[in-house]
Amino acid sequence: MRIAVCRPQVPFVYGGAEVVADQLVDELRLRGHETELLAVPFKWYPGTRVLDQAVIWRLLDLAAGDGRPIELVIATKFPSYGIRHPNKVVWLVHQFRQAYDYDRTAYGQFSESPADRATRLAVERFDAVALGEARRIFTISANVADRLKRYSGFDARVLPPPPQKLAYRTEGYGDFVLSVNRLDRAKRIDLLIEAARREPGLRVVITGEGPERTRLEQLAGGLDGRVEFTGRVEADRLADLYARCLGVYYAPLDEDYGMVPYEAFLSAKPVVTTLDAGGPLEVVHDRETGIVVAPDAVALAGAFAYLAGHLPEAQAWGEAGKAVAERITWDGCIEALLS
Amino acid sequence: MRVAYFSPMPPSHSGIADYSTLLLPALGERIEELVVARPGRRVGHADVCLYHVGNDPDSHGWIVDELARRPGVVVLHEFVLHHLIAGMTIGRGHARGYLDAMERDFGVAGRLIGLGVLDNLLPLIWETEPERFPLAGSVLDLAAQGLIVHSRYVEARVRAAGYEGPIWRIPHPAWPAEHVAPADLGGDPLIGCFGHQNMNKRIPQLLEAFTLLRRRRPGARLLLVGVASERFDLDRRLERLGIGGEALIREGYVTEQRLTALMAACDVLVNLRSPTMGETSGSVIRALSLGKAVIVSDIGWFSELPDAAVLKVPVDEFEVATIAAALELAATHGRELGQAARAYAHSGHDLGRVADAYVAALEQAAGGGAVADAVLRRLAEAASEAGLADTSQLARAAREAGLV
Repeated sequence: MRIAVCRPQVPFVYGGAEVVADQLVDELRLRGHETELLAVPFKWYPGTRVLDQAVIWRLLDLAAGDGRPIELVIATKFPSYGIRHPNKVVWLVHQFRQAYDYDRTAYGQFSESPADRATRLAVERFDAVALGEARRIFTISANVADRLKRYSGFDARVLPPPPQKLAYRTEGYGDFVLSVNRLDRAKRIDLLIEAARREPGLRVVITGEGPERTRLEQLAGGLDGRVEFTGRVEADRLADLYARCLGVYYAPLDEDYGMVPYEAFLSAKPVVTTLDAGGPLEVVHDRETGIVVAPDAVALAGAFAYLAGHLPEAQAWGEAGKAVAERITWDGCIEALLS
Repeated sequence: MRVAYFSPMPPSHSGIADYSTLLLPALGERIEELVVARPGRRVGHADVCLYHVGNDPDSHGWIVDELARRPGVVVLHEFVLHHLIAGMTIGRGHARGYLDAMERDFGVAGRLIGLGVLDNLLPLIWETEPERFPLAGSVLDLAAQGLIVHSRYVEARVRAAGYEGPIWRIPHPAWPAEHVAPADLGGDPLIGCFGHQNMNKRIPQLLEAFTLLRRRRPGARLLLVGVASERFDLDRRLERLGIGGEALIREGYVTEQRLTALMAACDVLVNLRSPTMGETSGSVIRALSLGKAVIVSDIGWFSELPDAAVLKVPVDEFEVATIAAALELAATHGRELGQAARAYAHSGHDLGRVADAYVAALEQAAGGGAVADAVLRRLAEAASEAGLADTSQLARAAREAGLV
């Protein structure tokens, strides 16, 4: 089958959505499908530019390529699902959240000006049209499916993607907590650093890059080097960190899905998250596969101290998580997407 | 966004005043700045103005005057506006304006009919047959930024009248469900009818049907709440049919609290209509919210109510017999009908969802034009720079995707 996988690409940014699309392409090719990744640069500001981006996707013609039909289009996130195709399947990573749950919050982008309000409405209408054309809609998590239902009225089947391929293994339960995140505000790395300040025995390794790095490094000053920023790490190094850490911190605000808990689980590591983390709560269950606490530094410090003082439980929760993560396979995902 | 809101407000007896009393707090929670206009007072700058228009010149004349000065979004509460236009023209000594309005909607024949009315050669058609001459055109001309209607019926009439602007169909909001202590009125069953009493409300048919019901159910009582129209001799009709004494309870204008207590006491509520002026009925919405069995005429907006939520009576030669049968059915199965009515009011007329829809309409009216212009301008510029003269395909793609 000839398949086009569609995703918008914020230049120089590579995150979970990009991982999912790239891996999907690889896995489809492995199974003999002629597959191409279609990425269009995405910029959502200023003002009404976000709508231009949607128009661009709308204008693309993927009915055929080089005179041969393209039989299936799999679109992933806003605005790539605006593409027109008779056999369009959407595997929704997320909608344009600034128009929905982020609107009128610190994470939103639309002011109260008439033009901004009307731009937000146009995104809403676009979603109604573009998602309404899809033959089937899957979402990467129940959290995304709930939002889709609440804001756009569409039902979707939840289809979590497997995490990226790494040399997952377990090499004990060391003396540090690992954070694997892009360093932006919504990931709430500052909570982890504050927790480290309150728990003197706690060492933290923070991977990833992002606009918050300088601020976070300043915040971590005076902690006697107990907080280490590695920047972006290669796959081998990441697998090694997963293998040796005590547990993994992952507490973004209302995350769509969250690949990190699955990666932690495949290394048999428990995950510490918060009650408002969204997608991760679908697999991180308190005292079963990790610890779930209120989103404050005191509670988090307590959770990390508990893990450090109860290694057999940390191991048992990590192993339980591993069983969950191993059930998510590319065979299952691709069978569903092509059905 | 700053919104100027023009509507009759209490103590006006207009149903639209009640409507706005219900809607305004929910809108206020969703709009940055909401200013309620008062007759004769300036409201200053607004990103968009919202004008509630109904057929009563005393309640709505000043609102249409403001609309003529400053464009905005019009909430068309009914399609027939003949009484409003007559009041704003003839009633102000401006007969020529009435003739112009008649000619605008009905051509030279309309102007001649208008002359006949002015010269007392023809009856006052806003009283005798307004549904044939709705006279909404001059208000539609002013609704430059769009129309909000409550029914498919009015939407279709407006489009048939040639209106090409945006239309948002937004249901009438339901009053929040709350426990109401019913008035102690007795009756087995108690049949209630609320609102102005006149021929249009099919009161003669209701009275005849009630007498039929009384033969089978002597304990039945009829509660009439509201005032009879000037030319409608209700007393004589009641006397002729022998409806009085224990069988009848009458109340005039009542407070909101009393109104709800009276409705809550009823087993069946009747709200008939023909001809329709394209109006919705706040009274019906209240009855549905209270979980009452409701009987309506199968006409206009009333026809659009779900069959499971109300009993609909066709306006035909069997109307009286059908009303009588519906009364009996509703009295017997009031509980089931009431549950379906309440469920529908909750799902189809939820106040929060109605307010959200209003906000979306206002936001689109206030900023939609500028957004569409910006997007289409950039598309045209990009196409032009690439040497493409025809941008219609680009514009069409954007429009089909809901982006402009």
